[in-house]
Amino acid sequence: MDKSMSQEGLALEKKKKFNLSQWIFIGPHFIFFIVFILFPMIYGFYASFTRWNLISSPTWVGLQNYQTILGDPTSSFYRQFRRGLINTLVFVAGTVPLQVIIPLALAIMLQHRGIKGKGLFQAIFYIPGLISVSAAAIVWLLIFNPRLGPVNNLLGSEVTWVVNQPYAWMVIFLMTLWGSIGGNLVIYRSAMSGISRDLYEAADIDGASGTVKFFKITIPMIKFPLLYTIVMSTAGAFNVYAQPLMVTQGGPEQTTHVLMMYIRTLAFGQGQSVAGMAAAMSILLGLVIIVIAAFQFRIMYHNAK
Amino acid sequence: MDRTKSFVITKWASYILLSITALIWLLPAVYAFTTSFKTQSDVMQTGFRLLPASWVMDNYARVLSNSSSAPIVRWFLNSVLISTTHTILMVIVVSLAAFGYARLDFKYRDTMFFTVLAISMFPAVVNIIPNYMIVHRLGWVNTPLAVIVPGIAAVGNVFLVRQFMTGLPKSYDESARMDGASDFTIYLKIIVPLIKPVLIVTSIFSFTGSWNDFLWPTIVLNDVRQLTITAGMLLLQDIYGNYMMMGQLMASAFLAMIPTSLLFLFAQKYFIESLNLNTGLKG
Amino acid sequence: MNIKKKLLFGAATLSMSLLAGCGNSNEIVMWTPLTGEDGQIMDQMIEEYNDTDPEFPVSHVVTPDLYTQIYTVMNTGEGTPDLAIIHADRVEGFVRFNMLKPFDDLMGNHPNLVEDNYIEQAWTAGEVDGSQYTIPLDVHSNVLYYNEDLLAEYGVEHFLDDDVLTFDEIMSLEGELDEGHYAINTSLMSWVLLAQAVNLGGDISDDEGNPTIDTPEMREAVQALVEVEEAGLMTPQGEDGYAMFQGQTVLFSSDGTWSSLAFDMVEDLNYGVTNIYSFDSDTWHNRGSSHLFGMLTNEDRTEEKEEGVAEFLDWVYENSVTWAEAGQIPASREVYESPDFENYQQSFFTKSQEQIDSLLIFDYEYYGYVEAAINLVIMDMVYGNISIEDGLAAAQQEVEDLVAQGHGADIDVDLDELDLEE
Repeated sequence: MDKSMSQEGLALEKKKKFNLSQWIFIGPHFIFFIVFILFPMIYGFYASFTRWNLISSPTWVGLQNYQTILGDPTSSFYRQFRRGLINTLVFVAGTVPLQVIIPLALAIMLQHRGIKGKGLFQAIFYIPGLISVSAAAIVWLLIFNPRLGPVNNLLGSEVTWVVNQPYAWMVIFLMTLWGSIGGNLVIYRSAMSGISRDLYEAADIDGASGTVKFFKITIPMIKFPLLYTIVMSTAGAFNVYAQPLMVTQGGPEQTTHVLMMYIRTLAFGQGQSVAGMAAAMSILLGLVIIVIAAFQFRIMYHNAK
Repeated sequence: MDRTKSFVITKWASYILLSITALIWLLPAVYAFTTSFKTQSDVMQTGFRLLPASWVMDNYARVLSNSSSAPIVRWFLNSVLISTTHTILMVIVVSLAAFGYARLDFKYRDTMFFTVLAISMFPAVVNIIPNYMIVHRLGWVNTPLAVIVPGIAAVGNVFLVRQFMTGLPKSYDESARMDGASDFTIYLKIIVPLIKPVLIVTSIFSFTGSWNDFLWPTIVLNDVRQLTITAGMLLLQDIYGNYMMMGQLMASAFLAMIPTSLLFLFAQKYFIESLNLNTGLKG
Repeated sequence: MNIKKKLLFGAATLSMSLLAGCGNSNEIVMWTPLTGEDGQIMDQMIEEYNDTDPEFPVSHVVTPDLYTQIYTVMNTGEGTPDLAIIHADRVEGFVRFNMLKPFDDLMGNHPNLVEDNYIEQAWTAGEVDGSQYTIPLDVHSNVLYYNEDLLAEYGVEHFLDDDVLTFDEIMSLEGELDEGHYAINTSLMSWVLLAQAVNLGGDISDDEGNPTIDTPEMREAVQALVEVEEAGLMTPQGEDGYAMFQGQTVLFSSDGTWSSLAFDMVEDLNYGVTNIYSFDSDTWHNRGSSHLFGMLTNEDRTEEKEEGVAEFLDWVYENSVTWAEAGQIPASREVYESPDFENYQQSFFTKSQEQIDSLLIFDYEYYGYVEAAINLVIMDMVYGNISIEDGLAAAQQEVEDLVAQGHGADIDVDLDELDLEE
């Protein structure tokens, strides 16, 4: 480990050239990025300073949308943003750690040389993610339906799940995990395949316990992919929208009404679009995501040193 | 080592935990599957039954006959073309970019990458309008290009592959460079083979993502013959959810996931093979 | 390798052939939000029309998210369809932003296309400042389904003798029902609520176009629903009342005319349709909406083609009985008065002028906001999670804030500013 770190340090000190060679590699993607992400993003950024119903041209209103969302407690947009952001944070806190820990644990077990049927297990964990969210939501609603479902009829639960907290969140978390651990699982498995057996065997000879091997070998060796899954699972969770919409419609008392649901309703809801306000809220949400991602990068790199 | 007691204990503990989790993961899918063979009255009857009172094929028959007037074969071919082309382009573009951001030294490399990543993290909500304008200017509306190309810009995949490349020791390409290999040779002959598992993963993600996308295709493909199968089927079937026609909803969900499931099972074979090949790589 | 090459080659040829497929300028391109079965019935109707060999055949494009798509193309000004089916509450907004072309000139040559020939509410929804912007296809309305067997079991068939179930009748069931049985469910609750507010003399907007949600009428209407719930007569919170109706544990279901498609699939469910319940049997309403044909503004469309559009609408006027298959009420007098239509359950709503008058179509420009805001709070109010006052006040404020976003910019929308000509 130390060796490779110092080599990276050396490489950094080397004189860097700004030449054409790197553009052969990053150029194609960079062009697509500018055209299909950067430009639309600038447009969205501009829209956040306007009033815009998506039909007529946007009207410039300066910082007014941001002032309303952040500084006007009497406005329903202020309340929606606050409530939506808090609910989204609950979702992030409830799902992201498990989206990392469960597949990590499964991947470690699947690394065990004595285990047969790895492909079968992996397929079972992955395939629920291929079912459409609307069908998945209806299955989970059926499962937790007091009259029709197994949870109340077989396990004897008396809870009306989707309309009471914290049960409503639990159903949403469970359904989300069910559909989403497969992706991280295959990433961890690819990452772990790159770890040399020798490292573990050397540790075994030293009499290291499983826990020690996990924290001293596995985690450091997969830290870059791990960071990817943490950052992207978090960003994905901040964008959550379909699961609460389908399972609880944001209830009870709007406690599962996440920010993205408010944003999408403003932009593409039943009435005329309020796209400027929606754009401002999504810029603010984006800032939150970036701050948290930066924090995750710092922690991971700091711990790695 | 293999015959030690701890090996056996951990093996069985792993089996038990894996099986329990697998069971929990499997049950909803099994329930959905059996529901797709239930009649509407069977679904709505009070009380829980996993198996149908009598197995009926009506839901599948109805889903398929609903689509009889629709150009399903054409949609399927469109989807195969679109998702395959998208995936091939994606893997090429992404692995090149990731190599650039992970293995080449150039000024502002990391600043540039993190800026690109940060920008891509803003939720794209109203962007659908400028995106349509661009695709329209390019003359791609109602052509497969409108759904093949824009997704390649996604930064997530570059990030994923970059992370894997970053984890590889520098000594690999340095010794090759010493032997006079060009950047491109290092990319193609050294780095890509080493990260094959994650490239397979990226292809699976890209293919299923492109296959399952439906909002964007319906916006840019408004000629019914040009639609993808997912978008086309949703136009025909999204109504089941509203009507709580559970049997038909489940039947259409299963029909819809057949291609991506087969792809996954097919790719998984290579994925697991490539995992085994990679074992032994030193850190 | 070989397979890969073949694939790539196949992909390339296919893409060439896909690129070649282009529209025909004689076609009337029509966008509709009719996903699912409705869309297929519309396809069938259009096929029938195209079989008459018209000069301008119609090509039907179903869009899952019609309004987003309309906004998207109108922003670029190209790819605008000739005709679209939009909902009644969208007309005013569309007209304000110059997105619809009136039918006034075409109506002269097509005597079928006049107010007298259509359900009045559906026709007038398309009238703005004396011009006619849309021609109605249908009315789709809220309807009360009842379970015939359960009504007989409890001996309450007489509730429907006058075709109107009243709150008093509902409340008289308190304590009478077996455990697990309920009188009404919560399907389309916001539609029911709006009808009740109108039954009590209220409305959703005042003469100046301001939303009126937090009103005495609305409070009384919610209160009536709360009382039904407190009497244990409403399906419990967290249950799908719609599924319960299909499971035959609830007597009445307030649903849409189109839901019969699903009910027909439950073999032993004997059901009938009647009016949404009300406070007394003299005043009742069924909240509905209407699918309306509108010509989106498009400079490129020729007058001849617009004539072709009118001919198509003429044909729809005479032949839209097919559309009744979708569970909707065709708006055309020729069709709803025809004997063919009597076979459809929803003909209940056209059997008398009184029934037709009960169809309540809101054309308030901000109706969409009102319905969404009510949906956000209604379940919590009915089940007592929040007070009626708080719920309605929040909904009122939300709609006011949204309306202010549209007006407040003083978007005296400069028509030239619209990028429509580009």
